[in-house]
Amino acid sequence: MTAALELRGIRKSFGDFLVLNDADFTVEIGSVHALLGENGAGKSSLMNVAAGLYCPDAGSVNIDGVEIRLSGPRDAKAHRIGMVHQNFKLVKRFTVAENVLLANPRPSTRVGLTEIEALIRRHAETLGFEIDPRRQVSTLSVAEQQRAEIIKVLIAGARFLILDEPSAVLTDHEAERLLTTVREIAQAGAAVVLVTHKLSEVMRFADRVTVMRGGRTLAMLEPKSTSREDLTMLTVGTTIVAPRRSSRPARGSPRISVTGLECARDGRSMLAGTGFFVHSEEIYGIAGVGGNGQGELVEALMGVRLANAGTVAIRHEDGRTIDVTHASPAMRRDLGFAVIPADREALGLAGSLSVAENFAIGQIHDGRYGSWARVNRTKMRDDTATAVDAFDIHGVRSTLQRASLLSGGNAQKLVLAREFSRNPSIVIAHSPTRGLDVRACAAVHERVLAARAAGAAVLLISEDLDEILGLCDRVGVMTRGRIVAEFEAPIDRQMVGRAMVDHA
Amino acid sequence: MLDETVSRSPPSTARSTSGAYRLLQGRFRLEVRQQLPVWQRVGITAGAILFGLVICGLILVTAGVSASNLVEEFIIQILFDPQNLRAVLFQAAPLILVGLGASLAFRARFWNLGIEGQMIWGGIAAAATSIYHIGPDRLRLGLMTAAAILAAMLWVAIPASLKLTYRVNEIISTLLLNYIASYFLFHLLYGPWKDPGDSFPHSSQFATVERLPDIGPHLNIALPLAISLVALAWWLLHVSRAGLHLKFIHANASMAQVLGVPIKTATFMAVLLSGALSGLSGLVIVSGMEGRLTLGFYEGYGFSGILIAFLARNDPISATIVAFLVAMLFIAGQSLQIFYQIPFSMVELIQAIIVMCVAASEFFVRHRLHWHS
Amino acid sequence: MLSFLVHWIASIPSLATPYALAALGLIISELSGVLSLGAEGLMLVGALGGVGAYLVLGGYPLLALIISMLAASTVSMLFAGLVVLLRVNQVIAGLALVFFCQGLTNLIGTIAGWTNHTIAGLAAVRIWPMSTDHRPSGVAFAQDPIVLLTVPIFIFVWLVLKRSSVGLRLRSVGENPEAADAAGLSIVFYRVVAVVCGSALVGLAGGYISVVDAKIWVAGITGGRGWIAVALVIFARWRPWRALWGALLFGGIEALIPQIAAVGIRLPQYFMLMTPYLATFAVMIWTGVTKYSSSEEPAALGQPYVREERR
Repeated sequence: MTAALELRGIRKSFGDFLVLNDADFTVEIGSVHALLGENGAGKSSLMNVAAGLYCPDAGSVNIDGVEIRLSGPRDAKAHRIGMVHQNFKLVKRFTVAENVLLANPRPSTRVGLTEIEALIRRHAETLGFEIDPRRQVSTLSVAEQQRAEIIKVLIAGARFLILDEPSAVLTDHEAERLLTTVREIAQAGAAVVLVTHKLSEVMRFADRVTVMRGGRTLAMLEPKSTSREDLTMLTVGTTIVAPRRSSRPARGSPRISVTGLECARDGRSMLAGTGFFVHSEEIYGIAGVGGNGQGELVEALMGVRLANAGTVAIRHEDGRTIDVTHASPAMRRDLGFAVIPADREALGLAGSLSVAENFAIGQIHDGRYGSWARVNRTKMRDDTATAVDAFDIHGVRSTLQRASLLSGGNAQKLVLAREFSRNPSIVIAHSPTRGLDVRACAAVHERVLAARAAGAAVLLISEDLDEILGLCDRVGVMTRGRIVAEFEAPIDRQMVGRAMVDHA
Repeated sequence: MLDETVSRSPPSTARSTSGAYRLLQGRFRLEVRQQLPVWQRVGITAGAILFGLVICGLILVTAGVSASNLVEEFIIQILFDPQNLRAVLFQAAPLILVGLGASLAFRARFWNLGIEGQMIWGGIAAAATSIYHIGPDRLRLGLMTAAAILAAMLWVAIPASLKLTYRVNEIISTLLLNYIASYFLFHLLYGPWKDPGDSFPHSSQFATVERLPDIGPHLNIALPLAISLVALAWWLLHVSRAGLHLKFIHANASMAQVLGVPIKTATFMAVLLSGALSGLSGLVIVSGMEGRLTLGFYEGYGFSGILIAFLARNDPISATIVAFLVAMLFIAGQSLQIFYQIPFSMVELIQAIIVMCVAASEFFVRHRLHWHS
Repeated sequence: MLSFLVHWIASIPSLATPYALAALGLIISELSGVLSLGAEGLMLVGALGGVGAYLVLGGYPLLALIISMLAASTVSMLFAGLVVLLRVNQVIAGLALVFFCQGLTNLIGTIAGWTNHTIAGLAAVRIWPMSTDHRPSGVAFAQDPIVLLTVPIFIFVWLVLKRSSVGLRLRSVGENPEAADAAGLSIVFYRVVAVVCGSALVGLAGGYISVVDAKIWVAGITGGRGWIAVALVIFARWRPWRALWGALLFGGIEALIPQIAAVGIRLPQYFMLMTPYLATFAVMIWTGVTKYSSSEEPAALGQPYVREERR
């Protein structure tokens, strides 16, 4: 019998929230086993148990039928379980070799480093990568960093390799390469767990798939003998009708145009002449994997980061063109800007403040909620209550409760409520559905389409190509701080993918 | 960045959940709490303060104060001796003011450790107005007050603008300014402003019009003034729009910026107000308590302000209550100094121990201990 | 003129040494991610401990300095426990530590009667055959042993931090504790060790001030040097050798004051005493204005580490 890693009956809760409910999972040496589920199903949590980061309330982890006790990552390493997380555990300031040495201690540092550098080169060659062990991690691309992580885990002797949503940060092309390599790793004598929410990956690269939903493992199947529809049904539970984009009406002159935007961070150039424009009643998508300047672009558009060069101009209702390149965030909001930031916790909501306050702060300027001398809290509460209904936000027992108590999807709906209640004319949405389950995703998409129908110019920046292709009228591909290609609907996915690679 | 670091509060209880904490062979596990009922939170804090006081008591006993004397001094004497009670009332006013000042600054995420320096300039400005006979007698006290407030505001404007423009860390800059201010005070009191009458390092006595007027036999207007400022602060923080802005700046400054909250203006105003209150506190002591500019009139108020703001969680009403307790501590400290030769910095020690105990108790507010078998 | 220069330069090392040692100690703990604002307090503990040990244990200065290191390390464990184990906000804990130490040292100094007691201190060592008293340059080459030890200490610490595995792990804890945790390192262990070891150096700096330099203990003898050391660390961008240069700069400024008075230039006394603080203030402004890249700071500085489990 080939060796196997088995999780049986795992139960885990955080406070009142049951994250894992009697979950079972087995993976055997020589195979690639996918763990499929939507965001929030519990896939990462289950694997964190296997990697020793979470301690289950009940259940057992077994290797070859023998129960093992994992009190931390060190134990997992001892049992040759290695995990590559979504946010890489790399010290940016160290070199690749130093990072690997950190995880794989050797008695002498100098000798150890040379030994590890040789090991890294050898593994890289076997796997078909190119990686320079002497390079500082901060200078590597995301894909290269991921390879460094994998090699680090392999050098530690991992037999059970867990990859958590590896293709989330890669272009289609890079993901393809990675998953092919991963199959080779499995065939060479390892057990690989591929945590993913993408059906296509499961169908193409996995020997077996376990479907998770709501903390439970529903079924283990073989992708070859299952249809996509069956898998979708298991993963999502019901059929969700994705909001459909209606055909576009004729458009006038651009509502917002960006030309030659340049900005740098810590001495590195992040935006190198970005230029595009968005019309009213249009959704313009910016595709591309993270790290190509999207974050800086959003910051420049919000007014939080100063651009070194370039302009951002908007066309006001009365026809005037206004240069907002140096306008403060307050001025931009007055002119109709709305922002849905990618990092909800950091920029979207103030968790320790109430739902009502988080909702009302968007319009407190306008004098809607009282004067400078006295804030009209009753009106705040009433308006919030109305918005909670209108935007279908669950989990709000009282508008005075803390915003941090809302779950991911509902928190995002609160952000949407705040932004869209003002009927903005320019919407900047940055990865608005990151980490949300399918239902919440659909709700967000609906609102974005509604804003477009109401006449707004919507800029959608997302790493999820499916989302971009499903919603956008025009798409720009962003690489290294510039828009390198633009496409109009109907959009060919292959061409977009190629544009991302060609200019990488 | 260091300034972002110090601005960031400890991880909120919110979405971040269980820290798997292996203690005692995995028998214990710590879990982050989502929310704690107010009474439990107050209970834990009160328990921490009690624990801290017990430790201080033990230290004092080791230092030679017998246990029975401790109870006598700290509890009976303070609460039941009318003279001591009056002293507490006098002492409470400047403490309320610095507590309010520190709270306001903290709400804007500004560590105003320069309270003492601002008090010094408040005192200097007031004394200058007196010494150089600026303005007619009727208006003298008003001018002294205005001068004190203005001088302190200017002094705090330096580190405030440095932080807002160049992100210079305000903890160190405000502290350094304290030393500079105190040396300037030495220079004045040992030099040009030394009392010609007795050659001591303090200024000549203020004239009667230059002292805070009394209301009633044993109280001057300092305390009512402080209380009215508390009411004003309460309005500012809980009713006005600026208060909501400050709330957001404190909770999530980056988000506030994105949403158009005028961060720099609000922060600067809050810090200036904080300075103004410190300056006023300086005036209250110099003009209301001492009647002249003296060498160490400000000592102990800096950390007291921080302690009050910390324990009161930056709330004006709670700050007032805590200020009274600190005033009692000050009076007890003075007795200890006079009768038991224990240096007045014992008060600092007691304050530090209480801060540490309460800060440590936050851990138990945020986490719950699980017993595993 | 030459005499002025020689005397000035000769007095720099002993004034620079406490800054250098304290800054190095702070760098060690800050590289592990623990923001250490309690330096002023720990220096006071070192100062009192040194003088107290000298008076009680029979006048051995080197032993007294070792005791000052131990005393500071012991008190720092309280700080380490608060910030590493109990995740207390590091700024509050640091401030509380300073006032705790100020009050405690004052109390103990008064009650034990160690205040205002002059001691003989540590004698200077002649390090050069030329160091006789007859020539002005002779003065420059008579420094006490601690000054001479400072550079070797720096070399040792620098080697450990940059070249050894302990140093690698310590720095990883300060840069990315999640990575260190995933690699199986104990964040708690490395941070506590860093704080305790760093505090030993800070205590030594304090002990130097009281035992070797001033040869006396009075309350507040460190006079804010701990805070200046904290500023120095920021100015040095957490690099030990830059901290040494900065310490020499500050020592130089401080050494100028008595020399100017000795030469006969009359300046207001208290304005002269302000100069170290003004200089530090200027340095802080300069550091801020030159917009140093925040990428030089240990990325996880000041943030308590929780093995957070996000949903």
